[in-house]
Amino acid sequence: MEEVKAYIESGILELYVLGQLNAQEQKEVEAMASKHPEVKQEIEAIEIAMEQYALQNAIKPSEGLGDKIFEKIGLSDNLEKAEPIVAKAVNEVKPTKEAVIIPLNTAPYESKIKTLRIALVACIALLVVSVIALYNAHNQLGSAKDQIAELNLNNEKFTSTVNFMKQSNADLQKIIDMANDPDWKTVKLAGTAMDPKAKMTVYWHAKGKHVMVDNSKMDLPVNDQQHQYQLWAIVNGKPVDLGVFDVKADSTHILVNMKETGSAAAFAVTLEKRGGSVNPTMNQMVVIGNVSI
Amino acid sequence: MATTKKISLSEEELVSKLKNRDTIAIQALYDMYSGALLGVISRIIEQTEVAEDLLQETFIKIWNSADSYDSTKGRLFTWMMNIARNLSIDKVRSKDFKNSSKNQDIENNVDFIDAQKEVTFNADILGIKDMVTALKPEFNDVLNMVYFKGYTHVETAEELNLPLGTVKTRIRMAIMELRKHFN
Repeated sequence: MEEVKAYIESGILELYVLGQLNAQEQKEVEAMASKHPEVKQEIEAIEIAMEQYALQNAIKPSEGLGDKIFEKIGLSDNLEKAEPIVAKAVNEVKPTKEAVIIPLNTAPYESKIKTLRIALVACIALLVVSVIALYNAHNQLGSAKDQIAELNLNNEKFTSTVNFMKQSNADLQKIIDMANDPDWKTVKLAGTAMDPKAKMTVYWHAKGKHVMVDNSKMDLPVNDQQHQYQLWAIVNGKPVDLGVFDVKADSTHILVNMKETGSAAAFAVTLEKRGGSVNPTMNQMVVIGNVSI
Repeated sequence: MATTKKISLSEEELVSKLKNRDTIAIQALYDMYSGALLGVISRIIEQTEVAEDLLQETFIKIWNSADSYDSTKGRLFTWMMNIARNLSIDKVRSKDFKNSSKNQDIENNVDFIDAQKEVTFNADILGIKDMVTALKPEFNDVLNMVYFKGYTHVETAEELNLPLGTVKTRIRMAIMELRKHFN
């Protein structure tokens, strides 16, 4: 008992209540208190005295300080209590929404950004592929256009060739027909002194008054740009103009229609100025042939 | 929140509600002890604004560390008071507080000297002055330093140039005097 009394009187319990002891000393006091009820009683008496003392020396805090504190505590408290509320709540939608709003929002937001990023990359990749494809298509289209143009050109060539051949065929057919037709007369014109090798053939239909020149059987020197050959019919000893024609290396028509004449004793060709002359230049006569009856 | 109707609960109820994180407990504690705790804090820090900030911190700490309170080791108020005192002493010793209140330090010293001469009294604690001043000056000094000014008993012994045992005895004597008044 004496030991306990001395312990109490040492003043350590007062220091204990005043929070002046270190952790080890505190443990000692607590051990003593649990062992000796007198120590515990003494501690409590000191505590009550200090408590009363503090209450007596109370200073009223400013109005609203309490609300400020409760607000702070209430705020943190609500957040901590949110989970049990979710578990208990009948209507689970609202609390879940409230409690988990921050984590739920941020996660999808981040994943949304990620998705958008991926989408962006995909879009760019698609764009690049599209541009390449478009460029290729453009190139192919260009070459296709070239091919079409070439084919068109070929087609035109073929068409003109076909037309030429048709024309030639028709003309040749006509020549055959003329040969079989007694009304058509074939007049062969022979070269004069000016050009003995020259020759040509004129077809004449006396009733129909048609006159044609056969290019395929023509053998005259090529005329220049300033001159043209002019065909004349000799009617009653006088020359009658039957029109002009050119001698070219590549003439499209075999048969060339000339001016009409109902009668002729002979046909002659002179080289005249381009467009022809009213009267034949006699010294420029290249061929002449009489109509055989 | 609870300003209109004061809440008062028994210590047992308070402790169990506090540990169950029932907000009524903190409201009751505030109604019952905010003044007493502000009184304790104001002994250490005189600036009302800083003292009230510390009171706020004290209640938040009480709320957040309620689990660490062990009723077998002492009364709830003792635990709260020591939280308030420790926060206040930490504040006084913090660098920013020392820097911001150099002038007040001088005033504090003056107060302290005055207190030693038993002539200065805080108007807020007028009711207690008779009792404290009734203590013998040598008892009053040590209690002042340990309880009011936040000195440790070791620092007090050094400051007053007394043996540690004497300081302990004087603290005990001072509290014994208080007990006579309250018990």
